[in-house]
Amino acid sequence: MKKRFETSPWGSAVLWLWAAVCLLPIIFFATIALRPRNEIIAPQPIYFPTISMETWAKIFAEWPILSYFKNSLIAVSGSVFICLLLGVPAAYALARYTFKGREDIGFYILSTKMMAPAAVAIPIFVLFGQLKMLDTVWALMVVYAAMNLSIVVWIIRSYMVDIPHEIEDAARTDGASDLRIMWEIIIPMCLPGIITAAVIAAIFAMNEYLFTLIIASKNAYPLSVALANFSGGSDGIIYNAIALISFLAFFPVLLLVVSIQNHLSRGLTMGAVKG
Amino acid sequence: MSDIALEAPMTKRPAVRRSPFMRKAFPYFLLAPTMIYLLLITLWPGIYAVYRSLYTGKFKLEWYGLNNYRELIMDNAFWVSLWNTLFLGSITLFVEAVIAMALAALVYRSGWARGWRIVFTLPMLFMPSAVSYLWKLLFNDGRVIADLVRRAGFDYGNIDWMSTAFSARFVLVVADVWQWTPFLFIIFVAGLQGQDKEVEEAARLDGASWTRIFFNISLPMMKPVIAIGLVLRGVDILNNMAAVNIITQGTPGGATETLSYFIYRTAFRSFEQGYASAASVLVLIVTIILAQTLVRRFFKSGTEA
Repeated sequence: MKKRFETSPWGSAVLWLWAAVCLLPIIFFATIALRPRNEIIAPQPIYFPTISMETWAKIFAEWPILSYFKNSLIAVSGSVFICLLLGVPAAYALARYTFKGREDIGFYILSTKMMAPAAVAIPIFVLFGQLKMLDTVWALMVVYAAMNLSIVVWIIRSYMVDIPHEIEDAARTDGASDLRIMWEIIIPMCLPGIITAAVIAAIFAMNEYLFTLIIASKNAYPLSVALANFSGGSDGIIYNAIALISFLAFFPVLLLVVSIQNHLSRGLTMGAVKG
Repeated sequence: MSDIALEAPMTKRPAVRRSPFMRKAFPYFLLAPTMIYLLLITLWPGIYAVYRSLYTGKFKLEWYGLNNYRELIMDNAFWVSLWNTLFLGSITLFVEAVIAMALAALVYRSGWARGWRIVFTLPMLFMPSAVSYLWKLLFNDGRVIADLVRRAGFDYGNIDWMSTAFSARFVLVVADVWQWTPFLFIIFVAGLQGQDKEVEEAARLDGASWTRIFFNISLPMMKPVIAIGLVLRGVDILNNMAAVNIITQGTPGGATETLSYFIYRTAFRSFEQGYASAASVLVLIVTIILAQTLVRRFFKSGTEA
């Protein structure tokens, strides 16, 4: 029998090559966080720099890095909380009831994901300006939640649809109310789905750029836009601080993703592709 | 499954009696908070954008009728940005899809599938703004790519990647492909792994080559999965603006300006919000039409489950 291509040396060469493409820039970026400024922008790139932790101490002393981190944490976790609070009941209704307009409502919710952020940027800016909420983490929280609500509803809905109806029917004959069935049976049974939805929403919120750029201007800087702080001044772009912050955001995201890795494809496609 | 239901603490109570109206209204009550929230944050901006697009002026608004739209249609920069969005977007999407599919086909049956998947996913876990700075450093400020090209034996000197339209666009495509190929890869691997293995085995026993199996069996079966991946990734590519804002800012001469960046620049750099609103309204109309058709078409199977 002919050898399969994927187990041939060519196949694994391709995989190792792409792994190198993925990893080398990341490793280089990691060394950037640790090297002094004069070894970043040099006439010739320096591949083996003098690594020193002093750079870190300096960056932490000069910039309110921890407050960027705190802003991200508050805005992201708050938005995830809002999404779950509103999204779980909505997903439950879409998954477990038949009612008039169910399809249309479901698709309307999903279609808000397709909305171009740039197209609503001006109204959002004006809205928060009038509410005197510009440059606050609360505004970020509200926007992130709106952006992710559709994803959360659809992911959780897809997990709830899979639960057999018999379980619910048995509980209903025993006299449990609908809310109780949701709270005590459906939610515990689709907990992996809820966690997946929360993780995906957290990552997207963490990454959000355009709305964050127009809302946050100083006090509310989260990690994604704080990077802009290091590029406008007379020192040029301060790459080691940027790299440091990037990894500060990277590690929590890595942990979250590893924790849901078997649900990742399902989460990213809002339940459409079951991995 | 059934023992979970038994374990759930469920003391017997008389059945809750509810009026037929309440029973009918219940799902709507569950949906109401989400619907109100989403309508506020989508419908209101839409209405405001239409209203604002009819006025001009930076601080004091003046009635301007449809003039913003007329000027927009005459504005070359607008059409260039639209073309860039579609042109760059489709090239990026195509490259990502091809690489992701090749990698997925190589990985999905391997015993190391999980390991490869984690390694290949890493670029996606950085913030898009961070990745933009990384590639700006690698290409331009750190001169790393030019140095590697020189070491490989092609001496072009210090290339300024932002000086020509081609090279600046190339940088944007590379940055996006590096970060987001994993997104499609993860989806494609899941799609391939979810396929019925027996069909493939039967074809293999009949002596079909791996190319025929892949192109005639696996790929056609993957169609719905590929479509969903491309729609989701496509929407994100069209809306991408972090990379443009950080790496090129539209240079040289607007050759890398996308529609999102065009709106951002006119609204928040030149403060012509009426004009930018007119562009927003056009984008909104297109996305509403696209969203309605795409969403209904490709996510249909999900609701029937």
